[in-house]
Amino acid sequence: MNDSVVMLTIVAAIGLGTPLVFATVGEILTERSGILNLGVQGMMLIGAVMGFWATFQTGSLWLGVIVAMIAGAALSVIHAFNSVTLRVSQIVSGLALTIFGTGLAIFIGRAGSDALVGRPSRAIFESIFPQSLIDIPIVGPLIFGHDALIYLSWVVVGVASYYLFHTRPGLTVRAVGEDPASAESAGINVTRVRYIHVMLGGALAGLGGAYFSLALVPSWQDNPIGSAGWIAIALVILASWRPWRALWVAYLFGAAGRINFTFQTLQINIPANLLAMLPFILAIVAMLILASGKRGRLLGAPEALGIPYSREER
Amino acid sequence: MSRRFIVEPRGLAPWWLKLLIPIGSVIAALALGALFLAITGNDWVEVYTKMADTAFGSGRGFAETLVSSTPLILTGVAAAIAFKMLVWNIGGEGQLMFGAIAAAGVGIWLSSSTPAVIAVIAVVLAGAVGGAFWASLAAVPKVYLGTNEIITTLMLNFIALNLMQYLVLGSFSPWRDPEATQFPQGRPIIDNARLPEFFHRLDWGLFIAIAVAIVAWFVISKTRSGFEYRIVGDSFDTARYVGIKVPRKVLSVFLASGAAAGLAGSILVVGILGKMDPRSLDLGLGFTGIIVAALARLNPIAIIPVAILMGALNNAGPALQSIGVPSATVKILQGAILIFAVAGEFLIMNRIKRPKRVADDVPAEAEVSSA
Repeated sequence: MNDSVVMLTIVAAIGLGTPLVFATVGEILTERSGILNLGVQGMMLIGAVMGFWATFQTGSLWLGVIVAMIAGAALSVIHAFNSVTLRVSQIVSGLALTIFGTGLAIFIGRAGSDALVGRPSRAIFESIFPQSLIDIPIVGPLIFGHDALIYLSWVVVGVASYYLFHTRPGLTVRAVGEDPASAESAGINVTRVRYIHVMLGGALAGLGGAYFSLALVPSWQDNPIGSAGWIAIALVILASWRPWRALWVAYLFGAAGRINFTFQTLQINIPANLLAMLPFILAIVAMLILASGKRGRLLGAPEALGIPYSREER
Repeated sequence: MSRRFIVEPRGLAPWWLKLLIPIGSVIAALALGALFLAITGNDWVEVYTKMADTAFGSGRGFAETLVSSTPLILTGVAAAIAFKMLVWNIGGEGQLMFGAIAAAGVGIWLSSSTPAVIAVIAVVLAGAVGGAFWASLAAVPKVYLGTNEIITTLMLNFIALNLMQYLVLGSFSPWRDPEATQFPQGRPIIDNARLPEFFHRLDWGLFIAIAVAIVAWFVISKTRSGFEYRIVGDSFDTARYVGIKVPRKVLSVFLASGAAAGLAGSILVVGILGKMDPRSLDLGLGFTGIIVAALARLNPIAIIPVAILMGALNNAGPALQSIGVPSATVKILQGAILIFAVAGEFLIMNRIKRPKRVADDVPAEAEVSSA
């Protein structure tokens, strides 16, 4: 039962979707405060390489996770400074972050005589429950078959959702993202809220990147994350800026990453490249369907997303 | 929205500042890069000397730099004309790839006895049409449904990439060379559609790219349509008020932007590649075009020297491996240049009271004159 193609696909989808969950929830927090950060790919890569490096040096997986989050957050500060303090183009700044972060990650992985590239991980996140629990039909692999970071991702989703929609600071974030001028006149420090949430986004992107290098891909490569950072940006829209929906769409994309293998098992031959296109086509179609309704409102995009805010111009 | 319409005097930055910011960005990025190289135990003087030598030190090296620059001029123009009108087309990658698919398709399909002039023109234009078509997939929904073009163009990049790989690596399509059985590669286009080389690997594509940049500059700054275009770029509301059909304007610029990126693809096909080669077309040329456009401050003429600089970096990257330095160094430099250039926009958009020692007192003490 647990070896059925469907079960294996679902379990793989959860694994492959987890980095997307982290990065997407992070970007949701950032965008909810009104800042668009297209640097997710760069922040994830920096998180991936720094997490791998820290674990490689110390053997500690959790230290790797922490270092990855710090690295992602540190890189995101550049974007926060550009978009919140200087109020220049968030789009160009985010792209710059991706290019810079990508270059930096590859460089770090290849620098020096004992370069990381090609080296196997010293440790890797594995399932935390005993095999007897995992062997329970259906429930086992779905509930017990995961590593610690997958459970952490569920916690992150739950906390982020509760934070945004059921707490006062969460309300503050949404107010800043919808109407910073009113928020400011209500005594909210817009600059501080935006800096914090850009950095939270960076930290979660770093964590998402580390999931590749500490769980999914057991050795360092120039780019272990593929295009995950870009996909996360699209998932934010598909999730309409809601953390729980981010979980499901991330798993859907995770499944798409695995479906090729599944189809082969079922002896259905669809070329890999055509299948790889599918999630992106799906994302566009979903956007068209959503857009033909009541526009952005239906999607739930923060009103002030991407618009620089300056106190003087109020 | 009953806000009174206030025309804010956008403090026109002096010309030297507009020149100083991009140059300063490059210098700052090189300084940061030197620091980074020094920290990681590399000899930065050696690295920069190697880069300059590779890119400009010989006729052959300079030819390669110009070869690398050619597509960047076009993707730079593509980004610049779109961004100037607040159309965030970041799909230059995909439009370049689909342009290459279209160009190679025509170049393969044409009879090999087609006269060279006709063949070249047909294949090059096919790329422009292909790029415009790929852009239209994002442009039409944007104009008529209001979908976010940042996301759609981004998605279309990945679709085009997979389509391109499928045509050559994943199937036996007409784009794949039937004779290459061992390692799949693109089928060569007819010889008559190839551009001749005149200086090492450099071909006439460079001049096509430069001509496109000049035409873009001319249309924007010297024609009525360009004048309307600039109005739309400044304010949608003003444009609507003076009777400009904004949606049509946005659509035409979006398509022109796609055509320019598509042209970059077709010029690679008729030039150095001679076929649709998925590996050589997946180098981030569209994204690098965005760096070029930003550093050139969206000015099509300035794009030409900036593209040559970026082409020089791209050309120099692989050579660094011979001295044991990762080629990603140039990517760090490009990213840093863009970060400084975009931050520098702050100085151009806002009047600062003390413009001397620009690099130091940007962030904290910047005094914004409230005009």
